[in-house]
This record gives sequence, C-alpha cells and structure tokens, in this order.
Amino acid sequence: MQNALQLVWLIPFFPLIGFLINGLFRKQLSKSLIALTGCGTILVSFILSVWVFLQVKNGNSDVAEYFNFISAGSFKVPFAFQVDALSSLFLLIITGIGFIIHVYSTSYMKDETGEHYGRYFSYLNLFVFSMLLLVMGANYVIMYLGWEGVALCSYLLIGYWFKNTEYSKAANKAFIMNRVGDFAFLLALFWIVSKTGSVSFDVVFSKASALGTSDVTIITLLLFIGATAKSAQIPLYTWLPDAMAGPTPVSALIHAATMVNAGIYMVTRSKALYSLAPLSQDVIAITGLATAILAATIAMKQNDIKKVLAYSTVSQLGYIFLALGVGAYTAGIFHVMTHAFFKALLFLAAGSVIHAMGGEQDIRRMGGMKGKLKITYITFLVGCLAISGIPPFSGFFSKDAILLSAYEHNKILYVVALFGALLTAYYMFRLLFLTFNGSFRGTEEQQHHLHESPAAMTIPLIILAVLSFAGGFAGIPDIFLKGGDAIAEFLSPVLPPEGGKTVSHSTELILMLLTTVLVLAVIVLAWFRFRKYKPEEEKGLGKFLKNKWYVDELYEKIIINPLDRFGAFLSNVFDRSVVDGLVNIVGRLVNYGSRQVRLLQSGQVTSYVLLMVLSMLLIMAVQFFLRK
Amino acid sequence: MISLTGLNLILPQLIIALAAIIVMLSIAVKRCHRFTNLFTLLSFAAAAISVLYIPRGSFGVSSLFVVDGFGKFFTVLIACAGFVITLMSYHYLNAREKRNEEYYILLLLSSLGALTMVISNHFVSFFLSLEVLSVSLYALIGYLKEEPAGIESGIKYLVLAAVSSSFLLFGIALIYMQTGHLDLSGIAAGLSSSGEFSGVFIAGLAMVIVGIGFKMALVPFHLWTPDIYAGASAPVSAFVATVSKGAVFAFLLRLFYSTGGLENKNVWTVFTIIAVASMLFGNWLALRQQNIKRLLAYSSIGHLGYLMVAFLAITDRGMQAATFYLVVYFTGMLAAFGTVIYMSNKKGEALYIDDYRGLFWKKPWLAAIFTTVMLSLAGIPLTAGFLGKLYLLTAGTEVGIWLLVIVLVVSSGIGLFYYLRVVAVMFAGKNENEASSEPVIGKIFPHGLVLTLLFLLLLWFGVYPSSLLEIIQQIASVIR
Repeated sequence: MQNALQLVWLIPFFPLIGFLINGLFRKQLSKSLIALTGCGTILVSFILSVWVFLQVKNGNSDVAEYFNFISAGSFKVPFAFQVDALSSLFLLIITGIGFIIHVYSTSYMKDETGEHYGRYFSYLNLFVFSMLLLVMGANYVIMYLGWEGVALCSYLLIGYWFKNTEYSKAANKAFIMNRVGDFAFLLALFWIVSKTGSVSFDVVFSKASALGTSDVTIITLLLFIGATAKSAQIPLYTWLPDAMAGPTPVSALIHAATMVNAGIYMVTRSKALYSLAPLSQDVIAITGLATAILAATIAMKQNDIKKVLAYSTVSQLGYIFLALGVGAYTAGIFHVMTHAFFKALLFLAAGSVIHAMGGEQDIRRMGGMKGKLKITYITFLVGCLAISGIPPFSGFFSKDAILLSAYEHNKILYVVALFGALLTAYYMFRLLFLTFNGSFRGTEEQQHHLHESPAAMTIPLIILAVLSFAGGFAGIPDIFLKGGDAIAEFLSPVLPPEGGKTVSHSTELILMLLTTVLVLAVIVLAWFRFRKYKPEEEKGLGKFLKNKWYVDELYEKIIINPLDRFGAFLSNVFDRSVVDGLVNIVGRLVNYGSRQVRLLQSGQVTSYVLLMVLSMLLIMAVQFFLRK
Repeated sequence: MISLTGLNLILPQLIIALAAIIVMLSIAVKRCHRFTNLFTLLSFAAAAISVLYIPRGSFGVSSLFVVDGFGKFFTVLIACAGFVITLMSYHYLNAREKRNEEYYILLLLSSLGALTMVISNHFVSFFLSLEVLSVSLYALIGYLKEEPAGIESGIKYLVLAAVSSSFLLFGIALIYMQTGHLDLSGIAAGLSSSGEFSGVFIAGLAMVIVGIGFKMALVPFHLWTPDIYAGASAPVSAFVATVSKGAVFAFLLRLFYSTGGLENKNVWTVFTIIAVASMLFGNWLALRQQNIKRLLAYSSIGHLGYLMVAFLAITDRGMQAATFYLVVYFTGMLAAFGTVIYMSNKKGEALYIDDYRGLFWKKPWLAAIFTTVMLSLAGIPLTAGFLGKLYLLTAGTEVGIWLLVIVLVVSSGIGLFYYLRVVAVMFAGKNENEASSEPVIGKIFPHGLVLTLLFLLLLWFGVYPSSLLEIIQQIASVIR
C-alpha cells in the first residue's frame, strides 16, 4: 500500500482544478455549475482524505516524493508530501469542514452575480488548496508555500467586497500582521538551513539534538512568532476580529477549519525542536494563556455577533497553545478538532441569523429569535454547550484534557485557565440569550422578514451540531472508558503519549466536577443577567473591555503612525529635501559667485552628478579610513 | 591577433554587428518597417542559436575577450531579451512614430555593446562595449520626436552617463597605473603580489564602482533611473532595465570574481552598504509611486540590490543564485513593460496605476499575466520570483551574511505592498470614466503571444526550476 499513498497529490490537486475552472470560466459557467465545481472538487478531496486516514489508521505512513523542487549543489528541497497521523487528521478537518462550508456558501452567496459567485468559489478553493499544501508538505519550504498562499487567499477573501474601504482596510491589516509572522518564519527557515543543511522534517528533526540550545531556542521562538500571526495570538491577534469583514462562511473557514490552525500545526509538527527548548515552551504556554484570558474578557463586552465569536476563537486558540506549551500535544490537537466543529457551527449559525436579519450583526437589535429560527437556535445552543465544556458535548472532553495537563504542569496555570473557561461560558451564553431570548428589538421590517434559512444552510448546521455533540467521544479519558481515547491512540505514532499521568483518578474526577459545576453556575448567572435585555452602561472596566483594551489604538500610536511618518519622511523629506537639498547646499557653497556654474546648477542633472561625486568621495574616504 | 578560428567564437556578436550594417544599408535602399523588424528579429534569433555552434570550454579571443559558458549564457539571455523587445516595439512604433527603421539600428548596436561586454576580459573591451551600449541608448531614449519628455531624458542620460564614463575611464587609468595591467587576469596577478591596496588603487577602484554602480542604478547612483524610465518609450525602458543592467552586472561578476577584488574587506563593505541602501531605498521609494514606470524603476533598483546579496556571497552558490535571479528579473521586467506597451495607445502610454483599474474585467487574460508578473517580482510562491529570492537567501545564509539576508527579507516585505496595490487596482471595480476610447496598441499576435510565453516561463521556473538551474550550474563555476 506504500505506493498507493503516492497518490496523495490528488488531494490538493482537485481544489486547484476547482480554482482554475471557476477562476477562468466564471463568466461562462452558470451559478449551479460553479457551485457544483466548487463543492464537488472539495468532496472528492474529502473522500480521498478519508481513504488516506484509513490507510494511516492501519499503520501506513509515507513521505511521498515527486521531484526536486529546488536543488542547488548538496542542498535539495524535494517536492514531497508527508502522510502520517498528524497530517491525515488535519486533512480530514480541512476537507470535511471545508466541504460543509462550501455547501453552505452556495446558498449564503446566492444573491451575488454569477461572476462574483465564481470568483468567491475560486478563492475558496484556492484557500483550501493552500491549506492542504501547508499541512501536507514534508519540509518547511512546502509548508511555507502553503503558509504564504493562505495569507494571500485570506487577503483576497476578507477584502472580497472590495468596494467597501473598511473591508479592504481589514484585509490589509490581516495581511500586514501575517507578513510580520512570515518574516519570522523565513528567518527561522534560514536559520534551520544554515545549521542543519536541510529543510526536510525528518532530517531536521534527526539533527535537532545536535544543535546548541541557543540555536534551538531562537529557531523555535521565531517559528512561534510566525505561529502567533497565523493563529492570532498576542501580540499579533488584532487582525482576526477585524477580518470579520469578510463573508460569514469565510469567517467560518478561516476561523474554524483552516488558517488559524496553521500555527498550531506548525508548532506541533516541530515538536522535536520544541521539546529541546523548554524556554520556548514556557513562552508558548504563557502567551497562549494570556491570549485566552485577554480575548475572553474582550468578548464579554462586544455587541457584534461575529466579533464575539472572533474573540472567542482567539481565546480558544490560546487554550490550544497552552496545551502545546505544557507539552500536551495530543490534547491540543484534540481541541483543534472539536473547536473546528463547534466554531464552524457557531459561525455558520451566526451567518444564518445575519441572513435572517438582512445583514444586521448587532446583538442589541436582535433577541427573541428562537421561535422563528428553530434549527438555528438549537444548533447554536449545541455550539454554546460544546464551547463551554458541558458534558457530554465535545468541548468538555478536549477542554478537560487541556485543563488537566495544565494542572499537572503548574497549579497557577490551571487556576487561570479555569477562570478563562468560566469567562467563555459567560460570554457565549450572553450571546445566546441576547440573540435568541427576550423580545425582538429590531425594526418592524426585520421582524416581518425573519425566517429560517434554506436547507443548504440548515443541513450543514445540523451535521456540524451532531459533530459538536459527538466529536468528543473520540477522546474519552481513561476514567470513563478504558482505552476510550481513540484520538491519542491514533496520533501516537507521531505524538507519543506524554509520560505517565501523575494525577490520580479521584483528583481528575473532582476537577471535572468542579469545572462543570462552576460553568453551570456561570450559565445560570448569565441567564438572570441577560434573560431580559438591559442596555449595558459603558464606563470603567466595561468600556475598557468594550474597546478591546485599546490595543488597536496602541498599535496605531506606537507602530503605524511612526511608520507612516517615516514613509512620508523618506519620500517627501529625504528624497526631495535632504538629497536634493544637501546637494543644492553643497552645490551653492562650491559654486557661489560663479554665474556660469549657477546656470548649470538650475537643472536637476547637475544635482544628480553632484550626488555621484559626493558618494564617490565617501567611498574613497571609507576605503582610506578602513584601510588601517 | 584574432585568428580565423577565433571568429566562430564570437559568432553572435558578429551576426548582430552585421545585422546593424545590413539594416542601415537596407534603409538607404527602401524603407520598410515590417522588413526591418522581421530582419532584426531574425538576427537576434540567429545570434541566440549561433551560440550552439561555439565549442564547449573557455577560449580567449585575443586578450580582450573570453568566450566561456558564463559568457555564452548571457549572450543567449541578451539576444532573447533583444528579440522580445523587438517584437514588442513593432506595433508601438507603428502607432507612435513615423520613421521607425533607424530605431532598429540603434537597438542592434546597443545590444552589440551588451553582447561584447558579457565576454569582455579586459578593461579596454569593457569600456568600448559600454560606450557602444550607451551612445546608442542616448538616441534610443530620445527616439520619439514628438515626445518632449523622451528627448529631455535622453539628454539627461547623456550628461549623466558621460560623467559616469569619465569616472570609469579615470578609475581604469588609476588601476592601470598601479598594476600595470588592463586585462583582468593581469590585474588579479598584480593585486595578489602587492598585498595591501595602495591609495591610488583605492581611488581607481572607487571610480570604477561609481561607473558600474551608475549603469546598474544602485543607490546612491540611482537618481537617473525613475526619470529615464518615465521619459523613455516603454520598449526602451525595458531595454535599459534588462539588457543594459544585466550586461553590466555580468561584467561586475567577472571583474570581481576573477580578480578576487571582493576578498578585500573594505571593498566588500562598500558593496554591502550599496546593496543595503539599494534594497531599502528602492522599495521604500516605490511605495508612493502612482506612475507605473517610475514604480518599476524603483523596483528595479531594489532588485539589483537583491542581486548584490548573491554577488557578495562570493561562492558558487551565490553565482548561481545571481544568474538565476537575473533570468527571473529579465522575464519579469520584460513582461511588465510588455503589459505597459500593450495597454498604451496612440496618444500616450498607460503610465498611471489608475489606467489599470478594473483591467481584470475587461482583459482578464492580460490582467492575469500582469498579476503573475507582479507576484513574481514580489516573490510570492509558485512564481519564479519566489524561488529566485529563495536562492539568493540560501546563498546569503550559507556564508552567514545575516545583515544582507535580513535586509533582503524586510525590503521584499515592503515591496509586497506596492506590487499588490497594482494587483488590487486591476481587480477593483470597473473604471467608470473611460476617458480614452482610443484602442490599445497591443495585438494578440505577436504581442499577446510573447507576453503569454513570458508568463508561462515565470510559472515554469517557479514550479520546476531545475530545468534552468541545471544549465546554470554547468556554467557558474567556470568563471572563478
């Protein structure tokens, strides 16, 4: 079967074909054909992914090499795909959720003109393709190809409605923040090349132990900076909530199934490096936890339905990084999976609400919608229960696994993480109650227009709701069912179990009970607070949270403004005044009093020449100066 | 003395020289734009193909030239660029100028200068090649009589190039004074025996650097570039951006690699400063450009800066990376200017980024090509530009010149903004105020075809670079 796995190239190939067909022929094709191509190609990839998954489950894994992408002397970068437990699980998530979102989009975007429709689907396919490249690459260069591609596609998708400048600003922000991350990633890449002479995972990881601690620490920290940009962690998280400007299915795709997982995948893939750099691991754990808390507090005061979900994503990703930081890779990946289910569900359900409200996203003008949008309400509720970690919903198992590993690692981490979990339950149920309970606060017209979404939107919701409910059963801890942790078993070839558990079963049970009781208490609290809508006053801490800790303003002040000014300075002052001015001053000094030369000097050419001469003198001076 | 056997070694140069004479004579007999263009095309093609008949190995042709794999590679590259530019010039000149035939004489002559420069092994042949190249360029830049900007920039270039040439000449004289040699191997021998650089030699070297830096438009000798690019007609700008710069860069590689001049720490430092400044300023200044030709001018300054990174690595890998990147740069620049030419009309060129607004909705194929070009120049994966940059970076990291590597990464990050701005404009909504109803110059054949070809090359090199790299690896170590 080894040879059959060589065919994995077909998985990214189909979305690429879909992209090409929809991109090139979007004018000729009818909308239904576009939708068919868009969804069909992803479906084929999904089926192939399931096949690959089953292969891997039977113990096959392979590095499929195709040709030498780059070869320069002894340095070679093969175009190769890694097929193992980790990548095959991600393949399933990406193509599976990707397919559901494609189907949902066919209905959500149906009001667009044919051409835009085609463009939208072609971007979506390209996005899936890039993401597949990212997780399948067997070396850092192929991973980087996908990494860049994902950034480019998200730029295109977020800015999809480019006529709105607000949107293209958000797209730019996402892009710029990702550039910062890419820069760190590239530096890490070249550091790896210069130290190990290779970029292939197997070679790099086998040589990792021979590297100095400082090298490994620098490499892993740089990689982590790259990850913070993709996975929206402190300090590069502000782009993600702004990226809500894109169409809702895009938010679901970016926030649940794909892009934000890129950083997590990369860190997990580089586990061999991180295990040698305890400092980096601590940095990851602390950054993750800080992000989780920060984003959760912000989410408590947001009024835009998608913004709340966006901050909750940032917060959940923080949890996953906490897991990676304490070495609980399996728990982290488990939470990636369950999070993909319930976050996709929540976003798509929010899309359904927005759809029903005719584009309204402010929860202050919603309320009482559970009667009209039954399916949406129930599925959203499932999502909330899952994200809050109520047993037996999926979030319970994965979040519990993370909390437990935090407890084993450090009690303080555990307490803070638990606090974050309570915040999660609070803001999610605030969102639920304000949206669906109480009385309707929108306009007459909106109320009249309220309706449940068509089947192409509700069926994906139901599928995702089932997954959000049952997805956790893939990782039932030992205390409930011996050998029930199927996901850890599946991942064990890549991520061997992390040592023996130090926590006794009784402690584990008590912790679970404690979490559950506290979360339920918080939900009850939220019920009394938000059962009926009361305008929230904005002052003190509330205002501070509502304004997202003023981080955007801070960045504006300390980074963007100076850069802007520097740019303007360069083009206006430096080029025009300093260069020309300097040249003119020197020229005037040299040629003062000489009418003839002054005539010559009026032209720009002379100043150019003068700069040439000055530079030459400078070169000579440098040479003479350095000679000693 | 050139023996008769030596003649076949310089076959490409002879073909181009002969072609220039024949074109001149044919004009005296009868003017025919179509014939002249076709003949020029054939000559470039013949020059490129004739390289196949040159035997393998490194041969000296008198003491002035050396024909080796490196020289041959650049000969083909320049001949191909000349071919493409000639193709692109036909409809452009038809639309914008009445007397077109002399243009081809000038084009052939300046290409001849470039072709002899890449095989120069001696300061005399280098200087003569440079002058042949430049003098024809003065006229080419100001070729459109109706275009005051073109004539102005022609004169500007004349003054500046003359000054830089005089520096160069004086610098060469000083070097001669010190080493007693004008041929590169002699200079190398003179250098290694003297050990420490003397003051005279340093002064000479600085002047040569100025002369070469000017031609390659490296900061701080770059000021002419945006003016000339904007003023000259687009095909000529393409020529300046590619052939003229590329040939000088080839000689720079030969000069410093074969004489070992870069082994000197101070020379290396000076070039490092120049490279860093070029990368940063080129990209910074391009940020705010609205004029696409000025944007390309600044971008080319940045790209030449990138090339210097590989040059400064002083390794075989650096050499290969530089050569590969130069090919990528040629392809990208030719396609970029090709698009500008395509979009121009009788009244003028499509100079402003706004002229490309909504291009995607009108000419999706052209927009797709231009997008790929921009992405390649920006270095986005799956285009040739990405791999080119990757090679430059690996060459840099291999020898640990981290400052240059970091500046390269930072400045290409900056570069992304203005390249993507162009892309974004093309995909933006339709241009409501269709000011010029004038039809564009570009025709599907041959213009669209050659653009498509360049576009496919960018993708081909981006996905499967080994095809080109294998050739480059064969020639790259010959020079040292």
